[in-house]
Amino acid sequence: MKHDKEIYIPGRGIHFLSSVSRWLVSASAIPRRDPFAFAGLLLYLIFILIALFADSLVTHNPREILFDNNYDLARNLPPGGDHILGTTYSGRDIYSQLVWGSRGALLVGVTAAVWVVTIGTVVGLIAGFFGGLTDTLLMRLADIALGVPFLPFVIVLAAFLNPSQWNVVFGIALLLWPQSARVIRAQVMSLRERAFIEAARATGAGPWRILFVHIAPNILSLSFLYASIAVGWAILTEASISFLGFGPSDSVTWGYMLQDAYASQALGRGQYYWFVPPGLCIIVVVVAGFFISRGYEEILFPKLKD
Amino acid sequence: MAYFLKRFSHMLFVLWAVATILFFMFRTMPGTPLAAFIDNTTTAEQQDALIRQFGLDKSLGEQYWLFLTNLMQGDLGQSFFFKKPVVEVVMEVFPNSVILTLTSLIVAYLFGIMVGAYLAWRRGSWVEGLGIPLVLTTRAAPEFWLGMVLLAFFSFHLGWFPSGGANTSGSDWTSSWQRVTSLDYLSHLALPAITLAIYLHGLPLLLMRSNMLNVLQEEFITMARMKGLSTWTIVIRHAARNALLPVATSFALGIGGAVGGNVVVETVFSWPGIGRLLVNAVSASDYPLAQGAFLMITAVLVVMNFIADVSYNLLDPRVRVETR
Amino acid sequence: MLTNPKTLLRAAFAAATTAVLMAGSLPAAAESGDEVRKLTLISRAQAANPQQFQGAELIAQAWRKLGLDVEVQGMPRPQQSDAVWYNRDTWDLTMWQMVGRPERSDPDELIYNLFHSSTAEKGYNFVGYVNPEYDTLVEKQRVTANRDDRKVMIDRLQDIINEDQVYAFLVHPLQTFAIDKTVWNASSTVVQPGLGIKNFWTYTNIEPLGDQKDMILNSSDELNAINPFYISGATDSWITELIWDRMMRIGPTGLAEPWAAKSVEWSSDSMSVTVTLRDGMMWHDGTPVTAEDVVFSFTAPVKYAPMYKPFVNGIANIEVLDASTVRFDLSKPNAAFETSTLSKLNLAPKHVWEPLLAALGEGESAESIREESRIGSGPFKFNRWANQQEVVLDANTDHWSAPKMERWILRIVLNVEATLGMLRSGELNFLSDYTGDPVLLIEASDADGDLDVVESVDIGFQYVAFNLRRPPFDDTAFRRALSTAINRELIRKAAYNGFAVTANSVVSPALSFWHKAGIDKELPTGINLAKSILEEAGYVVEDGKLHYPAGQTELFGE
Repeated sequence: MKHDKEIYIPGRGIHFLSSVSRWLVSASAIPRRDPFAFAGLLLYLIFILIALFADSLVTHNPREILFDNNYDLARNLPPGGDHILGTTYSGRDIYSQLVWGSRGALLVGVTAAVWVVTIGTVVGLIAGFFGGLTDTLLMRLADIALGVPFLPFVIVLAAFLNPSQWNVVFGIALLLWPQSARVIRAQVMSLRERAFIEAARATGAGPWRILFVHIAPNILSLSFLYASIAVGWAILTEASISFLGFGPSDSVTWGYMLQDAYASQALGRGQYYWFVPPGLCIIVVVVAGFFISRGYEEILFPKLKD
Repeated sequence: MAYFLKRFSHMLFVLWAVATILFFMFRTMPGTPLAAFIDNTTTAEQQDALIRQFGLDKSLGEQYWLFLTNLMQGDLGQSFFFKKPVVEVVMEVFPNSVILTLTSLIVAYLFGIMVGAYLAWRRGSWVEGLGIPLVLTTRAAPEFWLGMVLLAFFSFHLGWFPSGGANTSGSDWTSSWQRVTSLDYLSHLALPAITLAIYLHGLPLLLMRSNMLNVLQEEFITMARMKGLSTWTIVIRHAARNALLPVATSFALGIGGAVGGNVVVETVFSWPGIGRLLVNAVSASDYPLAQGAFLMITAVLVVMNFIADVSYNLLDPRVRVETR
Repeated sequence: MLTNPKTLLRAAFAAATTAVLMAGSLPAAAESGDEVRKLTLISRAQAANPQQFQGAELIAQAWRKLGLDVEVQGMPRPQQSDAVWYNRDTWDLTMWQMVGRPERSDPDELIYNLFHSSTAEKGYNFVGYVNPEYDTLVEKQRVTANRDDRKVMIDRLQDIINEDQVYAFLVHPLQTFAIDKTVWNASSTVVQPGLGIKNFWTYTNIEPLGDQKDMILNSSDELNAINPFYISGATDSWITELIWDRMMRIGPTGLAEPWAAKSVEWSSDSMSVTVTLRDGMMWHDGTPVTAEDVVFSFTAPVKYAPMYKPFVNGIANIEVLDASTVRFDLSKPNAAFETSTLSKLNLAPKHVWEPLLAALGEGESAESIREESRIGSGPFKFNRWANQQEVVLDANTDHWSAPKMERWILRIVLNVEATLGMLRSGELNFLSDYTGDPVLLIEASDADGDLDVVESVDIGFQYVAFNLRRPPFDDTAFRRALSTAINRELIRKAAYNGFAVTANSVVSPALSFWHKAGIDKELPTGINLAKSILEEAGYVVEDGKLHYPAGQTELFGE
């Protein structure tokens, strides 16, 4: 499946860090070559910046119920004036909610991605490298995780535990690691036989050192690929859970906004400025993830190149 | 044959494991299981009697054993809310989910395969450059969002399709078959199926496309070209057939995944399916029903995984799944 | 050393600094108690009840201005019930409502069950209000036959609740219903105070104009059960009312009228009442209705129907005088007997239910029985119940008050957008359960021209319940302050979009005779007023946080 072009053969005394830095250099070559990956990374960067500077970008407190000059509720105001995107049915500023939602989205997305990738990578490394009983046990665990329907499971978690964004992360961490684990495992198994490993063994490097210093950097691209997909998946799941009414009611996320719009009959009122932007934001962030993963897919599976 | 048996026993193992996890998850979750069942005027003795009746006074181990033995006999317990056997409640709505899933997948796959093959053929052109991001966008949009927009436009605004449910109120049918093939049912099925199909077609499209690209580069295609066969013949006879195999197995996997994931679409369109049943059961703390619905969805998922595995193996003996 | 001026100066400086620091913290210990804990206001989830949720958020925002840390927690109805009903010691604040039912046309049901101390542990008095003065008076009004005398007592009872601020009443919602006036003759609907056009009399009287003779209504809640011995939900009771008859019914005037009974005669001491059944009443399976069925219907609940038991408890004996006459002997006079019992209990066929009840296991009640055929004697017959989709009832053409429509079909639509869409497209022709924005409904009606929208004040009401068992909610002044901080007008306009009437009593203005006129004006509101009430009661605000009066500790902190 993977081609040899990008494998590094560490010489004597090369540390993990320099392997990674070399990887980073080659990794950044991708965006330069593939416009999609570049676009994806750029979009991610924009969202991260928005999330970091959300405090200064919002015009109002996203959770505050607002009143107009007559002490009437500032509800369903169309875009314009004080409110760039108008207000919701309960009198909150839509634009501020949208900006604030980027924080929630990225928080959930990044945390989930980190967990999935960490678990998946570690399991894949260990299962692929050590083989035998460990491998069998871990793969059985993977099969069980794959046998649990994803969305129903998260729904049950969200319903029984207190509604919180972490339920989604928890569900994702528990159930989505097998895909990356399997692929990484296959990769590790093929790498295991490579000559340079034998060479390292000949110099007396122990199994753990071989695993983490020599093999790991070569599969990090795979981890990154699955991470970028996991971010999107987490954001979509959080939106679905909020939409079904199982999300927390005190934090503003894009999924919460969509649920609020749905419950307040935004479409029946023609409030497209409320309903469309959060959906678009979700699409953009998730597509950015796809673009990035596609870009890396190109180098990992270069058969697709002409 | 040995392989088949091996995978089959594996499937049973996974089913057992998930059922066990489910059991302990529901039993150890916070909240009173009987809250929905006991109402405000039940006396203390009646409550105790109910607890005994549902076996909640037994030890967890005993309850688990009872659960397993009942499960193997096809008894999923009794719903707290509807006071009917869970199996009955689930089977009332399960066919609707299956029909929705199958219809959407068939539409999605037919469309995806054809367009995927076309895009592979037009590699490097602007069609591909536009098409791919468009397809990725459909995979990135929340299904319920898509559904709401379609509902608002095609149902509320244009009035072409009904707003929800599976049949017009009060309609009668002579048989189940007549019901699901009636125009009424199909018009109710149309919007939810289209919504799902839009979401689901991305995978077969991209898969078909990448497989086609692989196959198109292979030696024997070049040979066929050299032989002078028409491009169309090449595409259909050689490339497509070989590229279809992974797509076929992903179809099986798609069924498994979609039945559980349909819950948001079922909610938007008020489609009476098993996903909606699960959500309602969970909201009402009707945990035998929630458990039963969950198990049903799991069973479909695991069985479809098994079918996908086995059929991949059968259809392409060149590729064997790694033995462990 | 101490005499050294430098050391002395240093020591003095240190002492002074310490004194200043101590002075900063000392007043805290001397003048106020602990900080009041974080309070959670429970509410229905936003999607399920947007008005209630919005109200909760507005209320929480107001209370934060008093220095309280308040969080709104939305949850599904069963979870809310679990928290509030079954774990009465654990919650502090909740949004709640009493639904309008025909039987509640007499205030007795609510005014007794909600506040009498006997129902504090397991019944409707879930807030835990115990007031012996109230108990005595409410028991007295129940046995007073003279309406005017009763009115004086009920006025006083409303005052007591207002003084003690047991609930922070919010509004009586304005229910909005709509019918398709191209399908139904709009003038053939019947308006019942507190229930609007969605009531039993409309269903039996309404006339179809054209070919469509099926009434298609909607419900935004799933159905639980259709069982004459189980009060399983508001929507469920619309259906039981149609399938099963009752001895009397609450008429369009709000008073009980004979229904299955041909005559209802009270003895002079108001301790017994003789009821004669109509002639020719038949069950849906063809067998005649007899006095034995009546006796059965009023005695079975004692053992088998826990939700109906309180309403038959007062019956000491039932005497069968002949095949269609029965005499109820009461243990005490009960002014509300006709409303609370004769108009509430369903007449169920003994030959169907006796064997079903006999087959019950230990601890089971009639609520767990699922009767396949659902035999009643009412104006509609049960046809089918397609789970999660619809209920279909056929008109009973043999009934003395046979409906003019052919079928009554209830459609379950959980999505309020879809509900409105279905009404406009004609898939529904009677909007019976609308939880959305009334403005949109009126706009739709104006645009389409074929809808008739009717609004009416509900008998029911929405309120915030305080858990009187847990300090500081056991302090009347604290409750009064919190209630004063709520701007009812704002809730009315903002949460209910103007489709509500402010409330300050369990007795709705829809019940014009019993409602104490002007009571909703007797509670002045305002944030500053609330703050002064708290101050007078000894509560102190420090660093923006509210503290208990001096010496009081927080017993329920995290």
